[in-house]
Amino acid sequence: MSIVTDLLAKPGVIAAGEYAYRGDRFSYRGALSEEHARMASIMCRATTMSVNMEASMLESLEPLNGFMPPRGWLVHGPNYSVCVVANVFCLLDNSNSSINEVVGFMRQALANIPADMI
Amino acid sequence: MNMLDDLLKLPGAMAAFEFRGSGELLDHRIAHPDRINESVLDLLAHMCAANLSIATMQARGWEKVTGMEGFYPIKQFTLIGFDWSVVVSGLQRENYKQAGKFSLPPFTGVVMANEKADYEAAFAILERKEPVP
Amino acid sequence: MSMIRRLLALDGVNVVCHFRDDGYLLEGYGLMSHNDMGRLAQFARDYRRIAQGNADQLAMFSGMRGWTPPHGWIIRGAKLSLCGVANLVCVVDSTGAPLNEILLELREVSHW
Repeated sequence: MSIVTDLLAKPGVIAAGEYAYRGDRFSYRGALSEEHARMASIMCRATTMSVNMEASMLESLEPLNGFMPPRGWLVHGPNYSVCVVANVFCLLDNSNSSINEVVGFMRQALANIPADMI
Repeated sequence: MNMLDDLLKLPGAMAAFEFRGSGELLDHRIAHPDRINESVLDLLAHMCAANLSIATMQARGWEKVTGMEGFYPIKQFTLIGFDWSVVVSGLQRENYKQAGKFSLPPFTGVVMANEKADYEAAFAILERKEPVP
Repeated sequence: MSMIRRLLALDGVNVVCHFRDDGYLLEGYGLMSHNDMGRLAQFARDYRRIAQGNADQLAMFSGMRGWTPPHGWIIRGAKLSLCGVANLVCVVDSTGAPLNEILLELREVSHW
């Protein structure tokens, strides 16, 4: 099974997908329109680029600080959250999802994705 | 009990800190001085302030365009680094805003080792309702 | 003489660097070590991508035309400022430097 399929099987996962680091394509599954998924992939890619730049700056100013290379990020809102690890994103309903489970799964499943593709 | 002290009790917690929206580090606690120092926290605070601002812009835009509400105001931003994660929140400020206060408390954050990180527990502490004076 | 080197002739321009799309420093001139120019080039490339990403999102959310693709960016510090256009970046004095002229020149040189 693909990571996206596995993610969708987890409680509270509304949609999940992948985006290309180059920004030229994306794919997704779940309860989102194509247009909204496109927007979500643009936003996720932009934030991933930002945190990668920030981590590399942090690394150059404070070497071996434990953040480089960054694995992903989370935005936790009142009702929904976005979780991104490498180039995979998922949208969660806070009321019935477990962030720990989703992050743990994504970190493990995507542990060997090279970060130098960004 | 001070929120920073409670954050430092989280599994794998290495440091807890407070910072202004402009990124300046205000207060901090460090559990492992051999692994993290004030200088890293200062940089992290500035970085997290930028990420919270960008996430807020995204939540605002997303809700406006899609009509799917539930991201704004951002409760926490988390960076999952290679070994460590940092979770930051400005939620206490929302309580002050709702109470009509103009002077707002600082943002709060915690640095945790990924292997032991309990994000939900960190969120729970950061979302704790503190009394508004 | 390198085309970008002529930017140093403008008042207040201290450093000018030209970098590849991956942030690798191609050439740099002015009052800065080669190492620091390499860092500056990497920063400028990253910052450009972030500014572009944010401008894309602003355009996407607002539906307003005219923001993308961005031509460049300026970070104005207390004493020094950075100006970036395409794959060029300059360090300039925050006071007294003719920013309009510098930006025009950067845009022109970036087309070469």
